[in-house]
Amino acid sequence: MSHMTSIIRKEVRELLTPGSVISVLVMVVLFAGLGGLIGGEVDSAAELPSFGLIAEEGEYYDGWDPTQILYDAYGEDASKIVLMESTSDSTDAEIVSEMREKGITSVIALPNKASFSESMATQTQISIGQYYLYQPTGLFGTVGSTVMSSVVSILNSSLSEILVSGDSSDVNYQFAINPLVTPDDHISTVVDGQIHSGITPMDISNEVTSQTLMIPIVIMIIIMMVGSIVISSMGSEKENKTLETLLTMPIKRTSIVSGKIVAAAIVGLVYGLAYMVGMSIYMGSMTGTISGSSNVDLAELGMSLDMLDWALVMISMFLAIVCALGICMILGAFAKNYKSAQTMTMPLSILAMIPMFIIMFTGWYGSGGFLQAITFAIPFSHPMMAMSALMYGDVTLVLGGIAYMAVFALAAILITVRLYNSDVLITGLGQNKYVQTLTGRK
Amino acid sequence: MDALVLNDVRKSYGNREAVHGISLTVREGEIFGLIGHNGAGKTTTLRMISTLLRITSGSISVYGHDVTTEPDEVRKIISYLPEDAGAYKDLTGRAYLEFMASFFASGDEKRAMVQKGIDIADLGDRIDSKVDTYSKGMMRRLLIARAIMPSPKLAIMDEVTSGLDVINAYEIRDVIRSIARSGVTVVMSSHNMFEVDMLCDRVGMIDQGNLILLGTPSDLKREYGVDTLEEVFVKAVKG
Repeated sequence: MSHMTSIIRKEVRELLTPGSVISVLVMVVLFAGLGGLIGGEVDSAAELPSFGLIAEEGEYYDGWDPTQILYDAYGEDASKIVLMESTSDSTDAEIVSEMREKGITSVIALPNKASFSESMATQTQISIGQYYLYQPTGLFGTVGSTVMSSVVSILNSSLSEILVSGDSSDVNYQFAINPLVTPDDHISTVVDGQIHSGITPMDISNEVTSQTLMIPIVIMIIIMMVGSIVISSMGSEKENKTLETLLTMPIKRTSIVSGKIVAAAIVGLVYGLAYMVGMSIYMGSMTGTISGSSNVDLAELGMSLDMLDWALVMISMFLAIVCALGICMILGAFAKNYKSAQTMTMPLSILAMIPMFIIMFTGWYGSGGFLQAITFAIPFSHPMMAMSALMYGDVTLVLGGIAYMAVFALAAILITVRLYNSDVLITGLGQNKYVQTLTGRK
Repeated sequence: MDALVLNDVRKSYGNREAVHGISLTVREGEIFGLIGHNGAGKTTTLRMISTLLRITSGSISVYGHDVTTEPDEVRKIISYLPEDAGAYKDLTGRAYLEFMASFFASGDEKRAMVQKGIDIADLGDRIDSKVDTYSKGMMRRLLIARAIMPSPKLAIMDEVTSGLDVINAYEIRDVIRSIARSGVTVVMSSHNMFEVDMLCDRVGMIDQGNLILLGTPSDLKREYGVDTLEEVFVKAVKG
């Protein structure tokens, strides 16, 4: 037992190096901070957004006043109900124009009282309209649709209650349970300036999400895998002193650094493409099984990707891999050997996970300025969000990301070349005068 | 012509000075041995000559090329063999030599260079085996072949026979002698005084970053009135 204890103590001491402990602590702090930021986004998403109501004033049927019912139901949040000037006779374009003017993204439209009474008399389900201005805001972008469902549900219950509480002998119970309905042709959603019928923001978000949800995970896996390969290779080269030999050969440092990065980037891109193909087959088979439930054709909405878009996605992915490799080359320069190189992958993993969580939970468009700044600054974010950004027609974000990554990659390569020209690559950080001053070593 | 000139070379790591103003000259075609105990500054000196470490002050010139201002020119005419160096384990011995030769030549010239390397390594059929199946002696032969095949003007070898058995060490020393006979200048470090005595035309002894002795093995032995270089080393260090 004492032998095993000795081995356990030795192993724990070896594994719990200052480097690994610091990496874990940094990860905890980062994730705690990230949790707070995303939590803030969730809270703001959970707040009831303002929505418009198109209804005539006063009672519609036997004391049923939809405006008053909603005011009562929302209590303190009643101020979020915006009474629209448009009427049930207004055109879609007029309603959308007023929505833009009043800064609201969802509207529920009841028919006029005459039409309502007629339907009540004949016990015909009453069609109410829903209008949306589609805004791509990550997983929380469907709040408007949820609120509208809730509004319809409140109005339905209150009207049902009146129908079944009176003289119910001649009531059609099917009608009484669900007097208000929103047929597909009564739903209008504005996407990129065009009005589309029969789809809600939730339908669009679900479709976009089904096509892009796995992308951040795939990118994160590729970045971590390629990074690990390069850092391990650096550690191995140092341990075997093959790097020392290479550095005394008549080869330019830029050739060594660029050669290593480009080779690993090509391998990374091949891995990436393989993953993408696998994932698209997987997602295709998944969506194939539920194809009947999706009525959204992204191509019809102008949100499908063309060849140029795919080229931009590939460029974005390639540059992200180059950036990852640049970071790895810098980190790998400080690795003493193969084993110490393994712990160096931790910062890269953290950098790959942060944008993955942000993009999956709040999305670029649903994030606040600070979260957007963090997301943009981490180069791996850009291929993660490129596909959905292109679906939403945001080419500027993708091109901006590509330009940023190109600069980032160039800077990383230049820093690496500088490191390759310095003593650090051979002696490690222990001999650095600043590190010696910091650690008090001589 | 002087193959190598070190002039008041100093190297500091932070506040610690590892090499304190070494000055020496190595003549063309000479086998020069650097001796000293562990941590004396031999490897640091060899790494500065090889352009791997920057000099804090002083100067080093290799065949007239300054290592600080003309590192690329220096790298064209030197070959450095680090202590305990390895090769790319996924390659065969032949592929490793081909990879390394590609930095110096192409076409027929490259093929001739690789063949020269294969002849020096003298590994027989095993030249086509993966490097990770090589013994330490075979690996060292391959690395020496790599270092010599581009016909460098100056070969720098750090502890070249360290850890080798008697036969392998003997064969490696033989290779070094033949390299020198072909006109290549050799600067080597070693803990093996017997080896240095046998191989080197001149010897420099480093202690705590200072060059404390310089001369031919026979001159040094005569000066200290002893029979072996080992005794010179002990007397010089312990007084």
